[in-house]
Amino acid sequence: MEDAHAGLLFSIRRNWRAYVYLLPMIVVLLFLNLYPIAYTFYISLTDFGSGGPNSFFNVKFIGLSNYFHIFYSSYYLPQTIALLQNSVVWATGSIAIFIPLGLLLASLLNQPIRGKWIYRTVILIPWAMPAFISLLTWENMLNYEYGIVNSFLNLLHLPSVNWLGGSPLDVWSALFLTNTWLSFPFYTIVFLAAMQAIPSELYESAQIDGAGTWRMFSRITVPYILPTVLFVGITGWLFTFNNFYPIYLLTSGGPGFTSEIFVVEIYQTAFQDYSFAIAATYSVINFLILLVVAVIAIKYARLTQGWLK
Amino acid sequence: MIRRIITHVILALFAIFALFPIYFILITSISKIPLAALSASSLIPNMKSITLSSYRLILTNPQFPTWVKNSLIFGGVSAIVGVGMAAFTGYALSRFNFPGRRTLIYFIIAISQFPGIVLILPYYLMFAKLNLIDTYLGLLIPYSAGSIVFSGILVKNYIDSIPQELEEAAMVDGYTRTGAFFRVVLPLSKPILALGLLLAFVGPYTDYALANAFITSPGLYTLALGLYKVSQTVGAGGINYAVFSAFSFIMGAPIMILYIVFQKYIISGLTLGGVKG
Repeated sequence: MEDAHAGLLFSIRRNWRAYVYLLPMIVVLLFLNLYPIAYTFYISLTDFGSGGPNSFFNVKFIGLSNYFHIFYSSYYLPQTIALLQNSVVWATGSIAIFIPLGLLLASLLNQPIRGKWIYRTVILIPWAMPAFISLLTWENMLNYEYGIVNSFLNLLHLPSVNWLGGSPLDVWSALFLTNTWLSFPFYTIVFLAAMQAIPSELYESAQIDGAGTWRMFSRITVPYILPTVLFVGITGWLFTFNNFYPIYLLTSGGPGFTSEIFVVEIYQTAFQDYSFAIAATYSVINFLILLVVAVIAIKYARLTQGWLK
Repeated sequence: MIRRIITHVILALFAIFALFPIYFILITSISKIPLAALSASSLIPNMKSITLSSYRLILTNPQFPTWVKNSLIFGGVSAIVGVGMAAFTGYALSRFNFPGRRTLIYFIIAISQFPGIVLILPYYLMFAKLNLIDTYLGLLIPYSAGSIVFSGILVKNYIDSIPQELEEAAMVDGYTRTGAFFRVVLPLSKPILALGLLLAFVGPYTDYALANAFITSPGLYTLALGLYKVSQTVGAGGINYAVFSAFSFIMGAPIMILYIVFQKYIISGLTLGGVKG
């Protein structure tokens, strides 16, 4: 026991420079991450901004009332369920498109074909353009009255579709289409890089054994790139769950509550309605959900293996 | 043979899909139709109807230089501060097996689940008390902090690939460990630091959510706020697509070109942590 204690002290003394180098980041983490998170927890236990103008100056501690409202009141409960559903649909649906599509395009690009570098470069363009700008462009292209997408449909004698304000199916189609445009380059290139790292002797000897394309894909390619697919899939899911701009800029969560997800609702509740306490409560719930998912992911998919080495 | 044709068809379709919105804003930005729906037929440029008037309109807007200046200040200063701190962070995480390293990494992963967009609310309330709302500093602090963790990982992965013997040789020559870091590791890390600066710049450069919540005075407006305003302005015959597109192109094209040029480094930097494991 004493030995272990001395060993720790020795190790700290031996590595003291590491703590000095890390000081700026630790200060940032404490004051600009940990403290704001704790502060959000605190706000969620008050009536800040939820009880008329007085509640901005005379903040009262109200315990778990906000949580109670969000999970039990007939006003908030349907909203909360919709937020949870939409956030899960948004993240899961996106990943369910990105991964197969990325794998398909990566395996096509992993063949010896003519003009490969042209395809590769052009496919990267959506990723290179800042998403904020592309999203506003898509918003305009999908505009009901003036957008180019509907004018294409009209050219083919098809009726205009109210992409950003119509039925849930239309709205989610538009959102997934746009998000696919933004994300498929990244998934394609990451999977391609993983495929190119597979030793080519494996394919050569499989070919000698008479294995077909599909067999080689399922027996060599898939097992080799599975860790990458899992890592990218999980981090991508967590990222998309919190991906604010596509939904905020295209539909603002509408029409009604059709495409409202947690992060968009939090932003709007805080900065359009000034209901800080409710926004904070949703922030905490969003955080806890993702923390649970991240912990499970670390435990089972060894999310940190690249980090901890 | 047939398989090869199918491969080319699929890849070509996705190439067109990828390119179309960029082509759309480029063509629209030089078209004469200022305030109308763009019809599908106008996608093929007609030499007679090409005009640069939308670009002229934006560049001669008296507020435009202010927006450019503010975007450069917010992006540039916060990138330098953030990546500067990240260089030390990455070095410490790469080279030292210090007690608490594992805890720190788990801690970073945990707090990353509280995304930047959700941090805006507590920042707003904290910074209001400090009178930092609607000031340069009020935005520069969150922007600089926002890039440090991400850039730190980028730098760590890069330094992992630099042989440790180089520093040891420098230390044999009489440098201290810190001296070896400045004289050997930092110069070798120049590519990743440049890349970190680019990525850290783009965040604030295209931020709308935080700037929109914090900024009220026009003197602090950024390009992103300006572009958003233009994109939402509906005129008599519709949205002014030509002006919006020209603005998008001016703001987006430089970043797009840099990303394409540095693609190899950016992608290896972004994926190393996951792919290598």
